[in-house]
Amino acid sequence: MSREALQESLSAVMDNEADELELRRVLSAVEDSEARATWSRYQVARAAMHKELLNPRLDLASAVSAALADEAVPARSTPRPWRSLGRLAVAASVTLAVLAGVRMYNQNEINGAQVAQQAPQPVLVAPQAQGPAVLAGYTESSEQVKAPALQNQAGWQDEKLPGYVRQHAQESANKGAESALPYARSASMENR
Amino acid sequence: MRVLPLAALLCGSWFSLPALAATDASQWLDRVDRAEQQRSFQGTFVYERSGSFSTHAIWHRATGGRVVERVFQLDGLAQEAVRVDGRPQCASVAPEAGTGGADANTRAYDALKLMSWYDLKVAGDSRVAGRPAVVITLTPKDRDRYALELHLDRETGLPLKSLLLNAGGQLLERLQFTRFVTDVPTDTDLKPSADCRAVSAGAESIALSAVPWRAEWAPAGFERVSASHYQTADGAPVDHMLFDDGLARFSVFIEPASSPRATDGRTQLGPTAAVSRRIPSDRGDMMVTVVGEIPLGTAERVALSMRAQAEGKKP
Repeated sequence: MSREALQESLSAVMDNEADELELRRVLSAVEDSEARATWSRYQVARAAMHKELLNPRLDLASAVSAALADEAVPARSTPRPWRSLGRLAVAASVTLAVLAGVRMYNQNEINGAQVAQQAPQPVLVAPQAQGPAVLAGYTESSEQVKAPALQNQAGWQDEKLPGYVRQHAQESANKGAESALPYARSASMENR
Repeated sequence: MRVLPLAALLCGSWFSLPALAATDASQWLDRVDRAEQQRSFQGTFVYERSGSFSTHAIWHRATGGRVVERVFQLDGLAQEAVRVDGRPQCASVAPEAGTGGADANTRAYDALKLMSWYDLKVAGDSRVAGRPAVVITLTPKDRDRYALELHLDRETGLPLKSLLLNAGGQLLERLQFTRFVTDVPTDTDLKPSADCRAVSAGAESIALSAVPWRAEWAPAGFERVSASHYQTADGAPVDHMLFDDGLARFSVFIEPASSPRATDGRTQLGPTAAVSRRIPSDRGDMMVTVVGEIPLGTAERVALSMRAQAEGKKP
């Protein structure tokens, strides 16, 4: 690799204009002390041009490398039983937290449904507060029942669902006792 | 004397072990079936679910093995339905496909079957419509179905009150008699009004094995009990299947997703969950709609598991 090519690549990298090939060339030359010196000089020149403050003697890379080389390799400690126990405890508590979270999430879901189902009741308890109480209460509650549905309610489902619910009630009544129950269910759909 | 053995039975239930209690509960459930076939009654009941409360009158006449029943809504819309031996004769709002013609002679409560999926228990005494009643609870063993609390009339064994509860113990619906007498209804009582339109048998019942669809997953205990094929008013062909675990029921409706508006959706109407899902199949996209008295999540899982049966497998 020619010196000129490397210097050109260095310059490109510094100006943030290097292509893939040039970047590789520079990276592979990092170990080369001459290239590092060139890099350092370029930095000084650049700093001077941009009127930046620079400590030209600061070579972090070699300092870190030296420090790493000097450091003694730590002896591999024998695994202590309490330590793995501690890890297990951490894992267990994380699992517990996740489970608790899931459970709470589920409960929230149920509570949401509960709110949808039970919200009308206060209206029933104090009907005087709302003028024509029963009608007001029921319109409101039917909206609340629909609340958990997705946005497409206005379309296809609204069109098809009453028929399906009726058909289901009919077929259910054909099976088993208490035919009054499927009938009442179906009737309550029509009342909406 | 009918009361004596009954009283003995009841006393037994109070002091017996849980296992015996279950047997006792199942005996009560068996009685419901017979009572509905043999007992005449009339009365009024209320029906309540989230967002809806209505009152109805009922006349039920069982004479010589023939059961005629008329139900009539007393408030709001004057809806009614007349059934003879479980078969619908007329209804104010008839389902467009009519009845599937499925056989109506299934047992009311098959206690043996129910015991696999529910804990049956005699929970105590209550009083409904001025009559002493016994409380039977059916608690599900998993989360794919709802719990039922039945209050049965001590004298006749007929259900006077039934409550459907979800896993959180919240009330989903209530049917409760407010007046109940065992007088035999007259012909006038049972005569449908002019607004009661005859129910046609428009749906073509098909053999279970011939249904071109199958559920890859259904909650344990739910079996496909009937299947039919019909056309809606706008000409769309619909495949319908009914699943049953002995107590809870859900329907699966499948029709071609011809409209671009046919998108996924879900709704909860009191005890009834409805989930629609667009499912791709070799016959193009299909809309699968599950409607039934099961938790919404369960209905959704069923909807997603519907698969077209391979053509070759059709007999």
